Amino acid sequence: MSDTVFANSTELGAEASDWIALLKPRVLTLVVFTGAIGLVIAPVHMNPILAITAILCITVAAGAAGAINMWYDRDIDAIMKRTATRPIPAGRIQPNAALAYGIVLSVFSVLVMWLAANFVAATVLAISIAFYVFVYTIWLKRRTPQNIVIGGAAGAFPPVIGWAAATGSISLLPILLFLIVLVWTPPHFWSLSLYASGDYERAGVPMLPVVKGARHTRWNVFIYTLALVPLTLSPVFFGLAGWVYGVAATALGLGFIYYAWRVLSDSQDARGVSLTKDAPAKLAFRYSILYLFLLFGACALDRLI
Amino acid sequence: MMKTEDWTPEMVAEFKRRRRGRNYLLLAALGGFCLLIYAIALVKLHEYGQMW
Repeated sequence: MSDTVFANSTELGAEASDWIALLKPRVLTLVVFTGAIGLVIAPVHMNPILAITAILCITVAAGAAGAINMWYDRDIDAIMKRTATRPIPAGRIQPNAALAYGIVLSVFSVLVMWLAANFVAATVLAISIAFYVFVYTIWLKRRTPQNIVIGGAAGAFPPVIGWAAATGSISLLPILLFLIVLVWTPPHFWSLSLYASGDYERAGVPMLPVVKGARHTRWNVFIYTLALVPLTLSPVFFGLAGWVYGVAATALGLGFIYYAWRVLSDSQDARGVSLTKDAPAKLAFRYSILYLFLLFGACALDRLI
Repeated sequence: MMKTEDWTPEMVAEFKRRRRGRNYLLLAALGGFCLLIYAIALVKLHEYGQMW
């Protein structure tokens, strides 16, 4: 009964789930997975308890950065339909409390990573939080349509951190995985922004479809996908991955090019507005998530067999 | 915003339910953190013979 009556009441305080929602749990899935893969493919055995702790630290750090992002973006979140019900714009959590929460979790995640793993992993973890907050959220997001190209690096750190947690160093393979996620991010995110650009426009966020139009964005989705596929094959060329990964990267890459091509050749009017309600972009967005999961899964499988 | 003394019994009950939920979450987080530190310490002592 109370759930129905007070569902939108802000004066009664936040639900426990609101504090979890501040960590953007849906985004964390990919972070946890890529971080865990970085740890699994490392050529060093790590105690399972320390390994789980390292993955937990990556998860909490990413969540903490998300909470700080929600604190900073509370004004535009309130304008966008997709984000208006988040705990801060909805008034269930005070902005300063969310900021403190994000900072405390950030500090603890880095310190525990140092304690459980090593200084290198803790340093890269701290850099990834700082990059997401200062470079992406505060500096780039509201200034340039290239925000996601450079800011995407923040989401590319987890495999490097996972590797560093196990080995205490950074070598070529985690750097290649970092670059793969970096180049994967623009076609992934721009596919989403093609059908969510109305929200960004209202909030004044200069996403590529808002600034350059949908046609330009479709070309960029296609070009970045074309650049991504050879990059995913680079671990094979450097002798860092075997045929299992090579076959998977080729097949998955061809699939991604197919979906990007469908985005590019979507029926559109003279202004580039989709006549199919951006159905190909929705498919490409969904495929891009599956793509990264399977690609990194193949990388781990290749190492294990 | 309504004054707390004007809250209906249903609102008070809802306020308490939410506070209880937050407290349980905090309890779980703190308990989990203590267990984590304890487990890390045990691993470090057993595998490396040192704490740091």
